[in-house]
Amino acid sequence: MISAPYLEVAVLVLGTVILLIESFSAKLDRRYLGYAALLGLTFIFLATFFVAPQSTTSSAPFWNFYSADATSLFFKRIALATTTGVIVMMLDFAPLVSSGVQGTTPQSGLGEFFALPLFTCAGLMWMSSAIDFVLIFVSLELVTISFYVLVGFTRRNPASLEAAIKYLVLSAVATGFLVYGITWIFGATGETNLQKITTVLSRSGFEQNAALFGGVLVIIALGFKIAAVPFHIWVADVYQGAPTPVTAYLSVGSKAAGFIVLLRVLEPFLILPQMQTLLVAIAVLTLIYGNLAALPQTNVKRLLAYSSIAHAGYLLVAVVSFSGRAVAFYLVAYLLMTLLSFAVLVLVSQPGGDQLESFAGLSQRSPFLAFAMLVAMASLAGVPFTAGFLGKFLVFDAAIATHHFGLVVVAIGTVGAGFYYYFKVVRAIYWDAPASSTDKIIVSPLTRVALIALIAGTFVLGVYPQPIFDALR
Amino acid sequence: MTTLGDYLTVSGILFAIGFSGVLLRRNVIIIFMALELMLNAANLSLVAFSRFRLGDDGLPNYNAQVLVFFIITVAAAEVAVGLAIIVALYRARRTTNVEDINSLKF
Repeated sequence: MISAPYLEVAVLVLGTVILLIESFSAKLDRRYLGYAALLGLTFIFLATFFVAPQSTTSSAPFWNFYSADATSLFFKRIALATTTGVIVMMLDFAPLVSSGVQGTTPQSGLGEFFALPLFTCAGLMWMSSAIDFVLIFVSLELVTISFYVLVGFTRRNPASLEAAIKYLVLSAVATGFLVYGITWIFGATGETNLQKITTVLSRSGFEQNAALFGGVLVIIALGFKIAAVPFHIWVADVYQGAPTPVTAYLSVGSKAAGFIVLLRVLEPFLILPQMQTLLVAIAVLTLIYGNLAALPQTNVKRLLAYSSIAHAGYLLVAVVSFSGRAVAFYLVAYLLMTLLSFAVLVLVSQPGGDQLESFAGLSQRSPFLAFAMLVAMASLAGVPFTAGFLGKFLVFDAAIATHHFGLVVVAIGTVGAGFYYYFKVVRAIYWDAPASSTDKIIVSPLTRVALIALIAGTFVLGVYPQPIFDALR
Repeated sequence: MTTLGDYLTVSGILFAIGFSGVLLRRNVIIIFMALELMLNAANLSLVAFSRFRLGDDGLPNYNAQVLVFFIITVAAAEVAVGLAIIVALYRARRTTNVEDINSLKF
């Protein structure tokens, strides 16, 4: 049996070792570092199934900051699985990194490219365990700062640099709001621990307005992380400019961690009814804006960016209904279908670019990739028997159970818009004639295995969601 | 005698100056300075809250003061990475003006 905090330590050690090997062995083929990272992450993922349950009697101060319950373990697995998928994508993306970084050798910078996601992953795992604002802040910043570097990694590409600047400034503003919000919550309650805050807030006779002010500021900061409207301005530009595997990581990892923190932070604020109204308003705006703005997009990365905003909307509906189960299942489904679509995009965009035209006639160039993208798009749109459908079903079910009928009507309306833009991609793949090149696209065995696993996951969870519910218990 | 209210007012003004600096200024480096101001505003009121609102045993809650140290450290790390990105941008574009950074659009 392993104690839960060792998981993060293991990820950090893995990242550090890879960085050390990278700096001391100039001749090594850098792709081996990527394979080493994959192997290590797989071991740590398997180790999460042997974590000893947290002893409630343990009174060490550490456990005031850190929880190792079933939910946090579940989100740790999401972080590890996402990082594994992203590193598989990075191995495919490696040639573009080398051309995007100035250096003396053909593989300059590649070692860091494989090491940085590991530090992000450790941050995501700490975030899923954080039950104190101090740890929430520090782990959130660990994730954000390593993302600054990753977004601007291909620094000879002006779009990547521009995305990095935009992400840097807007994300730092969000950090400012977060710490100022934490300050006011601390001022009103005198505590930084979320459980103690809950106790104080349920008593009467505290400064309710100050706590509410702090809560709203924290929600603004987290709304930025999960890409909710009106804090979404960075999303499209940063997603388009960042290297594609990093975009996938941003849209899955950053969002999953943002939602677990949001669920934990909102728990004490359940007492205050104003919070509920605010969240409903954000959810409606996010659903409508995300789905409508995706309609005219012709760049697939931008389309997926707006789709990521739209999915944040569905997740917010689940948050408003306080259904942790629906949020968790939806995030798993979202992980599967988003990683799938970005993995195909990495392969297709290398010769052709991110535009929709490069997908034209994909069914002739690579029937396997075409099918993978079809599954991803069908699941994102919410076609029955896919994980995406069941995720939406659970969300709407939770919303109806808590009498948010207006929200469900808006959400179902926007699903219709979703079908249009997702099937625009499918139409390009199966009906349009190939635009420029008709060469076959070569899929490496590792990527093929990863894609098959993602496709299988999408279908299995679409009909048999029980494993997810068991893991949450 | 300075009261808690005084500290909170100063910190609120600092936060407002920082945020309006981010919104109004056009030079990325100045925007970055304004961001630091926002973080320091939070530091000031955290320490003030911790000092003025003592617990039952007459001691402040030190978690807030520890958080201040973390914020200072994180801000330093953020500046290190941020300035590196700004330098890379200046090398590539010969500008630090945000209005010139507009190639990613609809």
